[in-house]
Amino acid sequence: MPIWMEVFVLMLLAYGIGLGIGWSIWGRSS
Amino acid sequence: MKFLSRPPLAIALGAFVIFLLARFVAGASAPEFAARLSAQAPAVIEEAGGDGQVRANYISPRGLPSRHPLLTGGEPLDETTRAEVAKAVANIPGTGGIRWSDSDMMAMSGERVFRPLHCQEDVQALLRARTIRFEESSSRMDTGSRELLDEVAAALRPCLGAIIQITGHTDNSGPEPGNIALSSERARAVRAALLRRGIPADGLRTRGVGSRSPVEGLDPADPANRRIEFSVIATEPIRPTPVDTPAPR
Repeated sequence: MPIWMEVFVLMLLAYGIGLGIGWSIWGRSS
Repeated sequence: MKFLSRPPLAIALGAFVIFLLARFVAGASAPEFAARLSAQAPAVIEEAGGDGQVRANYISPRGLPSRHPLLTGGEPLDETTRAEVAKAVANIPGTGGIRWSDSDMMAMSGERVFRPLHCQEDVQALLRARTIRFEESSSRMDTGSRELLDEVAAALRPCLGAIIQITGHTDNSGPEPGNIALSSERARAVRAALLRRGIPADGLRTRGVGSRSPVEGLDPADPANRRIEFSVIATEPIRPTPVDTPAPR
């Protein structure tokens, strides 16, 4: 796997986790 | 920026931004990173006994910079040295899994082989001289066949743990659906008889093929086609998952 693809997978994972956390904190109230 | 108020669009846009960042920002620094790793490789390979023949190319199969090196030139080396070279290269910080150019991932985990065990030959030798006979249009065995089954069960005993397939055949008299039903019923009768002789059920498989595969060189209508065949298939070894471990070859 090329390096950029590994970076992409990791960043996408972090993005997903960030979205999940953000949603659980701020998403419900609005 | 009104479209950003629609969550699915905003999330997809975020993912696309991440793709661009990874492809172009991380992709731009990747060659330098791979070059730094490959600069450390020759010394490490030399130390592990690679004799300057083995080279580590940090490129992906498509030719892009990668953390997973392709090792070339190790053909004359013995397995132990290859394993040591692979392990040494894998220990360079930042390096991922190792591939050898003269092998593929399948060779590492072992081929899937169906190897007949010797007891198949023993059983076939028994059945070559005599056959398991049934009463016509029935799955009842005659008395002589019961004695033969005792011997077959004894011959199968060394292969316990293996998968034993019992295949029933008929001649081509009568309609084929009936033949298939009859042949599988006969195979099941043999299975039940083997169970009574202490062969465990979990290794026994039955199959009825009707008159589809007659004995080679024999007329399909010949009653000698009514027979039971045994095949002993070796149990499959558990395949290790090819993960980031240095491959010996």
